[in-house]
Amino acid sequence: MADSYNPDSEPTTRTLLRRVLDTADPRTPRRRRSAWMSAQKATPETHSSNRQNSGTKTTVRRSQRIRSVSKSAHVQASRQLEEQTPRTLLTNILLTAPESSIVMPEPGVKPLPTPKVAQSSRRESSRGSLELQFQELEPSITVAPSRLALGKRKQRLRLSVFQQEVEQELPPSHEPCGNADASSLTSSLNLTFTTPLQPQSVQRPGLARRPPNRRAVDVNAFLQDIQDTSLALAAPGDNLRTPVATLPTDMVLEDTQPFSHPLVGPSPSAPPSLPCSSHTGAEDVVRLVRHGPQCSSSGVQNKMPFQDGVHEAEEKMEESWRVNKEKETTTQRPAGMEESEVHTEPEPEGSLGTMDISGKAASPELASSIPEFLQARQLHQLLEQAPPPSTAALSSEPLEPQLTRHPPKARTPSSRSRQDPYKIGLNHYMKFFTFYAKMPMEKKALEMVEKCLDKYFQHLCDDLEAYAAHAGRKTVGPEDLELLMRRQGLVTDQVSLHVLVERHLPLEYRQLLIPCAFSGNSVFPAQ
Amino acid sequence: MAPSTTVSQRKLIKRKAPRGFLRRVFKRQKPHLRLGTGGDLLVHLNCLLFIHRLAEESRTKACEDKCGVIKKEHVMAAAKVILKKSRG
Repeated sequence: MADSYNPDSEPTTRTLLRRVLDTADPRTPRRRRSAWMSAQKATPETHSSNRQNSGTKTTVRRSQRIRSVSKSAHVQASRQLEEQTPRTLLTNILLTAPESSIVMPEPGVKPLPTPKVAQSSRRESSRGSLELQFQELEPSITVAPSRLALGKRKQRLRLSVFQQEVEQELPPSHEPCGNADASSLTSSLNLTFTTPLQPQSVQRPGLARRPPNRRAVDVNAFLQDIQDTSLALAAPGDNLRTPVATLPTDMVLEDTQPFSHPLVGPSPSAPPSLPCSSHTGAEDVVRLVRHGPQCSSSGVQNKMPFQDGVHEAEEKMEESWRVNKEKETTTQRPAGMEESEVHTEPEPEGSLGTMDISGKAASPELASSIPEFLQARQLHQLLEQAPPPSTAALSSEPLEPQLTRHPPKARTPSSRSRQDPYKIGLNHYMKFFTFYAKMPMEKKALEMVEKCLDKYFQHLCDDLEAYAAHAGRKTVGPEDLELLMRRQGLVTDQVSLHVLVERHLPLEYRQLLIPCAFSGNSVFPAQ
Repeated sequence: MAPSTTVSQRKLIKRKAPRGFLRRVFKRQKPHLRLGTGGDLLVHLNCLLFIHRLAEESRTKACEDKCGVIKKEHVMAAAKVILKKSRG
């Protein structure tokens, strides 16, 4: 296309732009943009994209780039390269933009035209064009980054403003220069372009102020401690140590331990120094755990000294805490605990050790999930274990509430189960009723329907029994059902059972009910 | 090639039949009886048809009363008729 005003077969924004460039005086970027916008609005073109913003021009241009690559654009670009004016930059954009989008797979690889394009694109950005920037920054985008444009306009606007300032400062000084300046500009501006990316990346580490690795390390440390203590437990004399290792894990895993204090209070009969120290240590660990993940690390450290001297009380505390954690229903337990203390019987420590090992093996699992059978097992363990009377008070406290809760828990659901599934099953049919009714219904009406269904089921069973007995069978078969439906008037000479089956049942059931012939001389279901 | 004896591969069936519920109800009512293959599906079909008739009748009754909402009286009157019909 020539530089003249020859309107193309299809008047496009590109041609309009050229007209503007040729005719309009070199003005400030903003004025030019307004000029462009007015120019665009003046000519109702046949482009789908809205022309309200100058950015739309770029969208249109983008589409144009896809379609046509005007050779004359090269001529124009070469002609106007000498003068570094907004106009020249704009023309460069028009001409070289598609090439740039195709040519540059990476921002680093920028041939000469790309700096111009970048520069021109920046110019354009100053005028409000955003898509080119997108292409530059994200060379992967080729054809229709309209979505990106929409999403990132706000960011780019700021950038464009900044670059406006930069360009206004730089171009006057570098105008006489040629592409070198353009390249320098582009390089400088490239840096500016990169900056927006960096802050974004910087923001992300900033968000993650808390290093998440801390907790993972703690868990691993705990597990290691568990293993160490479990190995140590192999020697039967180290019952005391095991609860220490497991104790901190449980404490860390649990949210709150109201019983840490009562545990500290009563001192076990055995070496008082050890239990006291362990109690205090446990208490400290608990406090630390409560305060936050940071404390967990310190808690881990605190664990170590406790491993040396641990009393059975620690075991009990750990067991009880584990149970508490499982239950997740930490409520008032002190009263219950005292009662359980009376009930629990002392047991040989060997059993305790074995219990602890199994308990520890389960504790990591418990951390993740709380299966009920584990709860029951641990409860059994707790029941079987015989905490010494001094420590029983400590451990029994969390035990008792769960023990007392279990029997009532077992009872109440059974009575409910009888009622609920029946109701649930009836509700299933109620939904069908509301669907068939196609009219709003009262709640009482629905209850009435439930009663009707109940009566209906009773009648149904009686009828089927009668039919089966009449046929001398003890099993109710499909023929009984067909007879029932015939007597009900649902199945007639005109309407057969299969028709009803096909009408109302889904395919899967139809296949099961209606015999169908298959290849190999087989019929399913077999008759 | 015989098809599978169970329901087809896709587990999601719209308008499923509560087969377990039906079997349980039948067992509770007639513990000495057994329900054959596909029997509970036909029972489900029977229930659907019963409810369908009941809903239609209730709707008719409500429309007769020029009422936009199905009320308890409509349902009761309809149930009388339909239960008599479904007596078998």
